[in-house]
Order: sequence, then C-alpha cells, then structure tokens
Amino acid sequence: MAAGAAIAGGGGGRRGSATQTVGVLNMLTDLAFNLLIFFVVLASNEPETRGRPQQLPASKESKETEKKSDSTQITISRTTVKFNDTEVPIEELKSKVAGVIAGKSDPAERIVIVKNEGDTPYKTWIRVVGLIEQAGGIITLQLDEEKEVTVP
Amino acid sequence: MGLKRRKLEVQPPYVSMADIAFNLVLFFLILAKVQEEKPIPWEPAEGSNVVTITNAKIVVAVGQDGKIYLNGTEIGVGDLAASVGVKLAENPSSKVVLLKIHKETQAAIFNKIMEAVSEAGGDVFHVLNEEKS
Repeated sequence: MAAGAAIAGGGGGRRGSATQTVGVLNMLTDLAFNLLIFFVVLASNEPETRGRPQQLPASKESKETEKKSDSTQITISRTTVKFNDTEVPIEELKSKVAGVIAGKSDPAERIVIVKNEGDTPYKTWIRVVGLIEQAGGIITLQLDEEKEVTVP
Repeated sequence: MGLKRRKLEVQPPYVSMADIAFNLVLFFLILAKVQEEKPIPWEPAEGSNVVTITNAKIVVAVGQDGKIYLNGTEIGVGDLAASVGVKLAENPSSKVVLLKIHKETQAAIFNKIMEAVSEAGGDVFHVLNEEKS
C-alpha cells in the first residue's frame, strides 16, 4: 500500500530529498501495477463459446415450401426417427438423406422438413439435424400450428 | 537562544488517493463480473462441426428445470420474441442469439424458443460440446 502523506520539510538535505523521491517512486509503481491489472481485467471479459449456427427460414417461407415441394420429411420422437414415415436407425439417417438429395443443386430440392414430437429431447434433435446438414440437406422446421376453436 | 523551527508543509496524498480509487474501481468491476451470470443448471448437448463464436450479447438459456432465462433473467416464452427483439435493436451490430439449452429439454419448449428468436429476427447459435467420435 502506498505511503501516507508526503511531508515536505525544509532543511532535509540530500538524504531527506532522496528518501522522498524513493517514496514517491514506490507509490507510482504501485499505481502503475493497479492500472495494468485494471486493463487486464477489462480485456479478459470475452469468454469463447463453441457451438453451431442454425439458419431458420421465416415461417411464411417454410409454409410455402411445404406446400410447393414434396420434400423429404423426418419425424423425431423420444425414441424413434422416421424418414418419410418409415422408422430408421439414426445411424442410417445420413446415408438415407444423402441418397435422396444426391446430385440436386437447387436448394429447393434439398429441403428436409424436420418435425418433432412434443417429448423429443434436445440432444436427439441436435444429433439428427447435424446428420441432415452433414448430408447436405437444408433444414426446415415444421412447428405445430395454433388453431382457434369456437366452443358453442 | 533562538531555536529555528522547521516549517512543516503537509500536502494531500494525491498518489495514494489515486491508488485507492483504482483499487475500489477494480473491486467493483470484479464484483460486477462475478454477479453477472447467475449459475443456471444446464448441460450442453453434443454436436458435430462446432465452431467458436465471440462477442455474442444475447443469451437464451433453458435450465434443467425447464425455466427460460434471457441474459440471466427469467422470462416466459410468450414474452421472449418481444424481449429478444428489443435487445437486438439495442445492439444492431450483431444479430446472434446464443441458445444454451439443457440437453434433456423437450421439443415443446425449444421449438417455441427457436420460433421466437426467428420471429424477432435473430440468428440462432446453439451452444454445444464437441461430439466425441
């Protein structure tokens, strides 16, 4: 901690002047280190995050896409994965999707509609979506629509 | 016999005061950092092709209990789209929204979150661990 009040006295001579100078230098060094720590702490506030980006089409675009094309549909539940209503092991999903969209350069033809059951766990969804993207598919999510029902 | 008295001049300790001021600033800076993120209990899912991202300001987290948090504050799914939209408008330089979703969260919850973020105009980024092959 820096020293207390600086006392300037008359008639201190060389020794007194040198002592004061050393004291001030110590305080300035202390201050310099504080400044250094301040900027190091300020600069170290950006932690790295790892993950995967997800491009989601707008809901209007996805509805039009579903209507226009007979795209590949994948349904994920808690325990099963269905490829066009046929249950498949998750390990075979990538090859199935790749087989369907092989050679198709038009993005509209590479759309894969992914539908979740309500109890599908997030880890399964992430894995399936990762396999589809590795196979070259473009993900479109099919979400439940809300309907207004009039009760008489 | 006359004795000469030294004239003492006391100056305020400017350098010490600056030192203390910086120490206080550092103290509150570190205290604010520690309190910034409440510990939300969650485990990330595993995925492939993970990349690194920095400078993301908006974080939507879903804990083990199924509660949704926007930048550490609990929020309902109905209010999520509007709140994310406000935060995106405050920081127009980045549209990335980090999703820290617990791996066992059900589709009934995360579907609505992704829909809300997409509706607000954000770019979804799933926070994942690298898949162990």
